[in-house]
Amino acid sequence: MIKNFLNFEWKQFSRSSYFQKGIGIKILLALGVLYFGGIALLLGIGMFFILKKTIPEVDPIVTVNNFLIYWFIFDLVIRFFMQQLPVMNVKPLMIIPVKRNTVINYLLGKTAISFFNFIPIIIFLPFSIVLLVQGYPVLNVVCWFLAILCLVFSNNFINFLINKSNVVFYVLLSVLVVLIGLEFFEVFKISQPIGVAFNALYNNPILALIPLGLLIGMYFTNFNYIRKGFYLDDAVSKKIKEVNATDLSWMNRFGSVATFLKNDVKLIWRNARPKQVMMMSFLFLFYGLIFFTQESYSNSPAWIAFASVFVTGGFLLTFGQLVPSWDSEYYKMLMSQNIPYRKYLESKWYLMVFGVSLSFILATPYLYFGWKIYGMIAAATLFNIGLNSFITLFGGALNRVPIELNVKAKAFSNTNGFNPTQLLISLPKMVLPMLLFYIPYYFINYESGLLALGLSGLLGIVFKNFFLTKIEGVYQTGKYKTIAAFGEKIN
Amino acid sequence: MIKTTELSKKYGEATVLNIASLEIPKGQAFGLVGNNGAGKTTYFNLLLDLIKPTTGYVINNEIQVNTSEDWKPFTSAFIDESFLIGYLTAEEYFYFIGELRGMKKADIDTFLAQFDEIFNDEILGKKKYLRDLSKGNQKKAGIIAALIGNPEVIILDEPFANLDPTTQILLKKLLKNLTTNSNATVLVSSHDLGHVTEVCERIVVLEKGEIVKDLNTSKETLKELELHFSV
Repeated sequence: MIKNFLNFEWKQFSRSSYFQKGIGIKILLALGVLYFGGIALLLGIGMFFILKKTIPEVDPIVTVNNFLIYWFIFDLVIRFFMQQLPVMNVKPLMIIPVKRNTVINYLLGKTAISFFNFIPIIIFLPFSIVLLVQGYPVLNVVCWFLAILCLVFSNNFINFLINKSNVVFYVLLSVLVVLIGLEFFEVFKISQPIGVAFNALYNNPILALIPLGLLIGMYFTNFNYIRKGFYLDDAVSKKIKEVNATDLSWMNRFGSVATFLKNDVKLIWRNARPKQVMMMSFLFLFYGLIFFTQESYSNSPAWIAFASVFVTGGFLLTFGQLVPSWDSEYYKMLMSQNIPYRKYLESKWYLMVFGVSLSFILATPYLYFGWKIYGMIAAATLFNIGLNSFITLFGGALNRVPIELNVKAKAFSNTNGFNPTQLLISLPKMVLPMLLFYIPYYFINYESGLLALGLSGLLGIVFKNFFLTKIEGVYQTGKYKTIAAFGEKIN
Repeated sequence: MIKTTELSKKYGEATVLNIASLEIPKGQAFGLVGNNGAGKTTYFNLLLDLIKPTTGYVINNEIQVNTSEDWKPFTSAFIDESFLIGYLTAEEYFYFIGELRGMKKADIDTFLAQFDEIFNDEILGKKKYLRDLSKGNQKKAGIIAALIGNPEVIILDEPFANLDPTTQILLKKLLKNLTTNSNATVLVSSHDLGHVTEVCERIVVLEKGEIVKDLNTSKETLKELELHFSV
C-alpha cells in the first residue's frame, strides 16, 4: 500500500502544473531552486567562519544556539502562512480498504517532505559537518544536529495544530516583534536563557532526548486529532466560514466603477490567496530600510529611486501583476455579462491607486531619513500611480495563469509571474524610474531628478484614457485565449 | 432573434460543431438535446462569444456577437458554476448582477421576492458564501441571477441537472411563463428528454456537432426522441 501511496505522490509531483510548462521556464525554475539551495548551502558552510570572524570571543556554536529561538519562531510564522495540512486529499482514501492508521501515518509522514523542512537541513547539516571537521566532539555535534532536526519537525507538526486560528498567528507575530524589539534595545535578551538551554543541550548529548520527546508528542497529538476527526464533517471537511458582511455602500461615491471596487475589496478580504499577497505588499513598505540605512546605497541616488518605487508600490506590484487572474474563477461570467472592459480595467486602476496612496501614508515615518529620501518616495509614488500602474496592467493582460482564490500559495508553486514576458515586463517597472531620475540628476541636480520622476507620473495620469484604451485592446485580442486558459483546472 | 450561419468549431482535426444554418425566432422556447460531446455547450459558448468560431458567425438581434459587445445588455446566461463569484453571498451576487444591469437594490429585492418558493429559505439570508452552498443551491442562484434585469435572450446550460424535484417543477413553470409573458427567447439544453419536451416549443437534436433533428414539440415528440436515443 505504501508503495501505491508513494507512486501517487510521485505522480502528483511530476504532473503538477509547474512541470507542464515550457522548457525555458523549467530551466529558470531549476536555476532558482539551485540558487536558493546554493545560498542555503553556502550559508551553512560559511556560518561557522563568518561567526568566528565577526564575534571572535564567542564560540560559533554558542552564537548559533543563542539565536536559534528566533529561527524557530520565524519558521513557525512562515509555515503558518504557507504550509497547510493536506487533509482534503484524504477523501478518496477514506472508503478504500486500507487501515485508517496507515492513511494517517502516510498523511503526516508526507508533510515531512516539505520545502520548509529541507531548508534547515541544507543549512544545519553542512554547519555540523564543518563543526566536526574543526574537531568538535562527534557525539555532541551529532546529537545537537539531531535535536535541531527534531525541533524543525516539531515545528512542522505544531503548525498544523495552530493553523486553525488566526489569533495564534497574530500572537506569534507580535511575540516575535516584541522579542526582537527587546533584544535590539537591550531591555531583555530572550536569546540568553534560550541560548543557555541550547548550549546545555549541546554539552549534554543525552538532553537531545527532550526534543525527540517533543517531536513524538507532537506527532501523536496530530495523529489523534486526525484520527478522532476522520469523518467528512470533521477534520477532513473544508472549513466553512461565516460571512462577515460589511456595508460598502459608502464606496458608491466612486460612481460607475464602484460596483467592481466593492467586489475587489471583498475579494481581498475573503480569500486566502489575496490576503497572502496583501501581507507581502505590506512587507514591501520596509524595503526602503535595507537601502536607506546602508552607506553604499544611500550615497547612490539611483538606488534610492529604485527602493522608493518598491516602498509604495508593494500592493501595485504584487496584486497588480495578477490582475485578470484574480477573477479567473468566474471570468466566463464577466465576459458574458453586461460589463464594458473599460470599466473593469478602470476599477482595477483605481484599486491600485488606492493601494499606492495608502502605502504612501504608511510610509510617512521615512521622513526620519530626511527630505531627500522622502521627496524621492513622493516622486516614486506619483510614478507608481501614473505609469507603473499602467505598465502593470499591461503586463497582467499577458498573464493567463488561473488562480485558486481560497487556497494558500505553496512555496515555489507561485510561478505565475514566471515567464519570459513577465520578466520582460518587470524590467521597465524597475529600470524606468531609475533612468527617469538618474538622467536629469546626472546632468542637472537631485531636485530636477525628483521633478522628472514625479512629472512622468503626472503625465501618465493625464494620458490615462489613452493608456486604458491601449490596454483594453490587448485584453480584447487575448480574450479567447484568456478564457480558455482560465477554464483549465488548476493543480 | 438569433441567426446562426455556417458556424463551425474545430479543435485541430476534430470538428466539434458544424451548423450550416439555424434561426431562433424571438420569444421561442428553444431546446437543445444530445449526448455528451454533441456540441451543446460549445454552441452556447459560441453564442456568448466565449470561444472563437472557426468559421461562420452568430447574429443576436442584429448584432454579430464576435465583432461587437452590444449584445451583452439584453443577453444573459448560466452555463456552469464558474458563472458564480464564490466569495460573495447569494444576495451580494444578485446585487452585483443587478448593478451591472442598472437595477437598484430595492428593485432587486422585489424581483427576488417572487422566487421565495425556489429559494426555499436556503439561499437568502444564510450568511454563507456561494462557494459553500450545495451544488443544487448554487445552480438555483445562478439561474435566478440569469433572469435579473429582464434579458431578452436567456441561455441556460443543463438547468435541470442537480436540482431537487420541487425546483425542477417550479423551474419548468418559470421558463414557460418567461416565453409567454415577457416574450423572452429562452435557450435550454438538457439530457432529460421529458423536461425539454415539456418546456420547449422547439427541439433540436445535435449529434457529433451536427443538427440531426429539428422538431416542433407535439404529443409525439417525446416518443420520437426516446426512440432516437435508444440504442
